[in-house]
Amino acid sequence: MKVSFPHMGNAYIPLSSLLSNLGAEVIVPPRPTRKTIDMGALHAPEFVCLPFKVNLGDNLRALQMGSDTLAMVSGMWACRFGYYGRVQHQILRDVGFEFDSILLGREGLGTVYNKFRDTVEGSLLRGWAHAVRSFKHKAEAMDALEMAARKVRPFERERGSASSVLADGLAGVHQAQTIKATDAALREALGVMDSIETEPPAREPLDIAVVGEIYAVLEPALNFDIERKLGEMGIIVHPVMSVYKWLFRPLKIDPSILVDERLARRIAKPYIAYVLGGEEHQTITGTIRAARHGYDGVIHLYPFTCMPENICRTILPRVESEFDIPVLNLCLDEHASPAGMATRLEAFVDLLRERRRR
Amino acid sequence: MGTEVVLSSPTGDSLLENGVRHCVDDICVPVKLFYGHVLDLAERCDVLFVSRLVSVEKAEVATYTCPKLIGLPDMVKSSIEGIPRMVEFVVDLQEHSIRSSAKRLATALGVPQPRVRSSLAEAELVQAAYDEKLLAGVEPEEAMRQVLGNGNGTGNGGKDSSARKPGAGRARKPDIKIALVGHEYLIHDHYISHNLPAKLKRFGADVTYMTQVPIEVIESELARYPGISWSYEKELLGAASHFLGRSDIDGVIIVMGFACGPDSIISEIITREVVTEASPPLTTLVLDEHTGEAGVDTRVEAFVDLIRRSRNRS
Ligand code: SF4
Ligand code: SF4
Repeated sequence: MKVSFPHMGNAYIPLSSLLSNLGAEVIVPPRPTRKTIDMGALHAPEFVCLPFKVNLGDNLRALQMGSDTLAMVSGMWACRFGYYGRVQHQILRDVGFEFDSILLGREGLGTVYNKFRDTVEGSLLRGWAHAVRSFKHKAEAMDALEMAARKVRPFERERGSASSVLADGLAGVHQAQTIKATDAALREALGVMDSIETEPPAREPLDIAVVGEIYAVLEPALNFDIERKLGEMGIIVHPVMSVYKWLFRPLKIDPSILVDERLARRIAKPYIAYVLGGEEHQTITGTIRAARHGYDGVIHLYPFTCMPENICRTILPRVESEFDIPVLNLCLDEHASPAGMATRLEAFVDLLRERRRR
Repeated sequence: MGTEVVLSSPTGDSLLENGVRHCVDDICVPVKLFYGHVLDLAERCDVLFVSRLVSVEKAEVATYTCPKLIGLPDMVKSSIEGIPRMVEFVVDLQEHSIRSSAKRLATALGVPQPRVRSSLAEAELVQAAYDEKLLAGVEPEEAMRQVLGNGNGTGNGGKDSSARKPGAGRARKPDIKIALVGHEYLIHDHYISHNLPAKLKRFGADVTYMTQVPIEVIESELARYPGISWSYEKELLGAASHFLGRSDIDGVIIVMGFACGPDSIISEIITREVVTEASPPLTTLVLDEHTGEAGVDTRVEAFVDLIRRSRNRS
């Protein structure tokens, strides 16, 4: 089985580990680029949201690289994401590719569990248990590294050092074959990260929260690596979501994530009273919390025509004025340009600096 | 319940412009229209009635409407200034009955509870009569006029506006039959659809609506396409599947609003999972506030020609 799945930030690291421990050969397509998006957009329905097109592009590349199985989460959700896998896989078959689908959520857990009966050596149950354990380990390592880089970036003496240590560290974690090797790779990378030369900032750094549609927030290919860009402008970035939370939230095993979700819904309730099926609660609550923590501003990222975030975008001006916190709405589509984005970011940052001086 | 009902005016230039001005650019055109209708009413009523449609059936596996319909009252409340007090009518059949929604509505309106039972009973009768009209092929506006008298008895809802309707004109004798699939608030908003039904008739087509497909038929079609949790899109899918399998239908048009999330997915599912070699021609018509009448004319004429040509060939 040569299995592949669409990218979502660094999620490929734990996901590859899960699948290879189940005995599958994992094909990781190159990180998405504008070319990936163009490839996806060519075959995708014109009016579908951007993440669909990127995912489809990832899948196309994986199939060209020889994948014979595509995996995707799927299911009956209020938003479009639940139908991505079903429609994408049909499009790819109509294009002429032949492959096997793993649609987690649409097919029962049992079906997915048994898919690996032939690839796992020995007991299937033990194979799964081990695979899940290494998945969790890799996810934690990835999260720890991302957080460490986020902390150092605004203060590094040489621009780009944190990001390059992060890239090396992630590569080390990705290559590690065992849990022990994963731990060693993590420890080493954290050590290097610690030794990055920093300098005290010339001025108090700004704090900016990043909220919005999950894929727009977490996938650098979509948001032009906004986290790195802001960090290297000397800004402390607080994303409301992380790839780790995205992976573990649906599994409902991490109590801190569950508590946070419930709390976020409660805080957002006066503004959005019902579940809309996206990140609406985290967007609204993230903005309110940013104000309460005394951050300087909020960046709201969402794909063009994104339903839950369109609703948030409609409501955010009210939150903005009630809590007196500036919000920059950035709508992303396949025509968005890095230059346009950079200009808007710089203007926003200037505004926040001006505000702080007063 | 004893309140006087004021309805918004039919969609027109300034109503749409107002709606667009108060909305996020990339939101679907029906939400922009809704905003326009809210603003149209703002100065003419004391209380604004807004429905929140969350789930419209009680099913084993829960289904939902669209995120924007669920969040509509939230958007209106937070983004339009100077509107009258808003009361919400929540339809969430998965969680509670329509009666309890009606009770809450009565409380919000200051209507004595004993009135709820009789007014609800009457509303259900009216709804049943209306549904029957739709099933018989009557357009919603006309069905409402027939069932409620003059719109709602207050004299402004059912104004005969046919003279101003775009696309009106003498129909020719129909020689083909076209089915329309799409949200009623698009197809039957004569302004935004440029009166598509009348236009089709003028081009010599007999028009049939998805509201004419009985619910049992839709349900049985859906058995072949499980796994959709959007209630209205399920109806679209079931109706499309029904029409695409009928030999007396010469063509099917899916009418969708620009930036409609659920339709972008369901139209793809229809074209890829439902259409077969034997299906009549299918086309998609995307409408937004910039769609001009000429554009719709061209699309419709081309589709009608295509049908006639393919029929002459066979
Ligand atoms: S949340 Fe937005 S981007 Fe994600 S599936 Fe829904 S509409 Fe698309
Ligand atoms: S179903 Fe489509 S057109 Fe209707 S409110 Fe939702 S997104 Fe808009």
